[in-house]
Amino acid sequence: MRRTPGEGARSPRGRAAVALAPVLGAAGLLLLPYAPPPTAAAPRGLPHTTVEVSPGRCGRGWDRPAPGLQVFRLHNTSGAAAEVRLTERGSGAVLGETEGIGPGTTRTLTVRLGKGAYAFRCVPEDADAVTGPTVRLEGGRAGPAAAPVTEHDLIPPAIAYQKWVAGGLVTVVRLTGRLRDAIDRGDLAAARTAWLPAHLAYERLGAAYDAFGDADARINGTAAGRPGGVGDPSFTGFHRVEHGLWHGAPAGSLRAPAAALAADVAALRTSWDQARMDPAQLGLRAHEILENTVQSELTGRTDHGSGSNLATARANLDGTRAVLARLRPLLTTRYPGLPALDRRLERAAVLLDGFRHGARWTPLTRLSRARRERTDAVFGDLVERLSSVATLCAPRRTA
Amino acid sequence: MTDPARTDATTPAETGTDRTGAAGDGTPETVTAEVGTAGVRAPVGRRCFLRGAAAAGAGLTGAAAVGATAGAVAGDGARVGDRTAGAGTAVTVVPPFHGPHQQSLLAAPRRSTVYVAFDVTAGDRTELTELLRTLTARARFLTCGGTPEPVGITGPPADSGVLGGAPPPGALAVTVAVGAALFDGRFGLGGLRPRRLSAMPVFPDDDLRPDWCHGDLGLQLHADEPDTVLHALRDIARHTRGGLQVRWRMDGFTSPPRPSGAPRNLLGFKDGTANPDAADAREMDRLVWVGRGSGEPAWAVGGSYQVVRLIRLLVEFWDRVSLAEQERMIGRARESGAPLDGDAETDRPHYADDPTGDVIPLDAHIRRADPRTPATADQRVLRRACNYDRGVDANGNLDMGLLFCCYQQDIARQFEKIQGRLAGEPLTDYIRTFGGGYFFALPGVRDETDWYGRALLT
Repeated sequence: MRRTPGEGARSPRGRAAVALAPVLGAAGLLLLPYAPPPTAAAPRGLPHTTVEVSPGRCGRGWDRPAPGLQVFRLHNTSGAAAEVRLTERGSGAVLGETEGIGPGTTRTLTVRLGKGAYAFRCVPEDADAVTGPTVRLEGGRAGPAAAPVTEHDLIPPAIAYQKWVAGGLVTVVRLTGRLRDAIDRGDLAAARTAWLPAHLAYERLGAAYDAFGDADARINGTAAGRPGGVGDPSFTGFHRVEHGLWHGAPAGSLRAPAAALAADVAALRTSWDQARMDPAQLGLRAHEILENTVQSELTGRTDHGSGSNLATARANLDGTRAVLARLRPLLTTRYPGLPALDRRLERAAVLLDGFRHGARWTPLTRLSRARRERTDAVFGDLVERLSSVATLCAPRRTA
Repeated sequence: MTDPARTDATTPAETGTDRTGAAGDGTPETVTAEVGTAGVRAPVGRRCFLRGAAAAGAGLTGAAAVGATAGAVAGDGARVGDRTAGAGTAVTVVPPFHGPHQQSLLAAPRRSTVYVAFDVTAGDRTELTELLRTLTARARFLTCGGTPEPVGITGPPADSGVLGGAPPPGALAVTVAVGAALFDGRFGLGGLRPRRLSAMPVFPDDDLRPDWCHGDLGLQLHADEPDTVLHALRDIARHTRGGLQVRWRMDGFTSPPRPSGAPRNLLGFKDGTANPDAADAREMDRLVWVGRGSGEPAWAVGGSYQVVRLIRLLVEFWDRVSLAEQERMIGRARESGAPLDGDAETDRPHYADDPTGDVIPLDAHIRRADPRTPATADQRVLRRACNYDRGVDANGNLDMGLLFCCYQQDIARQFEKIQGRLAGEPLTDYIRTFGGGYFFALPGVRDETDWYGRALLT
């Protein structure tokens, strides 16, 4: 995955910071005197029920239960921030959640409830989760729900994925070595032939870009965001070499960039064995790989001369499928749209394979309008579907 | 005119064997949760049922934005004269969503408009059907307002939040039309093409750019505020991502009366004064709606032909022309909007009294567009034009103009006759038509179970 310097990386850390912000803000409210919760903060016209959030009185206040679309006002009467989930009692499936409710504050949660038994579950920071009283409802059909995924659930797939990446890096090192050798020999035709397989081998691992850290900017950054553009000394890696190979640069000028690239991927392979992937990354990667494809490949933004954006998009599809393969056991029971997603992924792969002619790929700019629209539509459809994988596979504390 | 994009037909390998729709598979996944979910229908239906009547109240608020300055908001229960918006006609301000016709197209343009021409990327007829059902469900929800269905942890929020937690309808009107290209071989609809629907031809004064022409499906949204329109556009695009791709898009706006009467276009002239009365059902049956016995396929009854023309106005050039010459080109006084042989905007020009064009030149725009003779009475169209503004061109000239849209029963009998008379009119030097297309506005969505194009596809 390309990551240019200065481009905001959507790391899990960044997300966590966002999620924490209301908590910290709310903590400031501790200094303020208690004020009763405001009365109209949520969609109007819906039934409102105020319930308490605290270790001793989790879910109290839900005295007149009714099915249908409704708003709960979650009032945290405890001294610590808490997360609240409305769960279906039998399955533990979550109908709705609100994170980071600060002490003394009230947040709303809109849900649709139907026939079934429900309970609130309060998850205070730094304390055990508490389940509120069970409430039974007759009639109506509830909104969509899914069982929470825990970090524990995500560790085996994350380890499996990490191993898969390790194997992929061996291939990247090998193919990048061929590219470097061709340039060293001064055989630029062979170098142009060797560039694409090496780059695609790397792109296939796209899911791991955050875990690759700064290495990715050196290996796969573009000229964007660099004051000197393609001539900037900090512009290195696959696209630096690509730019030279497809813009008539002499072999001598590419030896150093190719050698640096080979050294960088070799160093990455070595360090990868020590790295530990954050399991929370996995669900995010499942949708972010193709989000990046939509932004960077289908727009041609990353093309530095090879015209291989569609090949990259195809490699990114493989990368997405590699993530999904590891998450599959968690998704089969949680994501009813999974079979449809699988079919759409296959459709996208078939579509892109149609742009391949031996070792060459149709450049993006040569696509007819109809084919380009179809490609954009297929990927647009995929990212909509994959966004659910990310929300479902965000790790949640259950105990 | 053929569409080059269409020569690149879908291959079987691309369409796949999936029977799924553009945004859904009929399986209960989040992307299409709104389709066929009992939970959605009931509340929306109630609201939609009330829309036609309840709209008067909302309409007054809405009309205030558009027309209060005219002091002419004339609420009489269910109807508000849309002379406030200046089209010289009176219809319900917020048209009901359900009905045999798309009432939305009769409504005078609200302040903010978006026209989007899409190409359909759905793989086959089943997917097209699913696409149109989804589009209907979204249009119904958006025009009726209400709380989006919560999805819990099963997906990102169902709504963009641009209009707050319970998006108000905001007098949103949605009009869905289809282009001739939809009736090519892709969906097996070849034999069902509305008889008078073709790709928009090139007219002698046109300067068409292919990227701004045609489309499989035209979507027109208008509402009181830009955020309402953009919220609807995002919602519809999101739910149809796999089945529709935007081909071109033009945003428009309708000016308030300055100081009264029809809103002014960017040439400074009142525009739309002579429109037929959209509240006159018989007139609409004569001029706008496709009726029975017209030789059209049965499914098309209740629809209407839509012509969209993207007309750049060369405003710098225009502003360097004397007022007298401007008025002779148009045929009306700029200040009052009155025909040059009259005193008031609504005065009817009397061309018979001026056979040599001494007062209103024979080639004046209004005289050529509507000669007001018995022979041309059935050629009139319902104009639903608005202004557009889209920055500057490569030479730094302001790029603004007219998002022209009109509805009629028969393009050849109506729009094309008018266009033929306008060929070579003096005004052509000051305008450039660069895009647009011919579309057919589908018959209305009759009720809660109906959907756009049902009669076409079943």
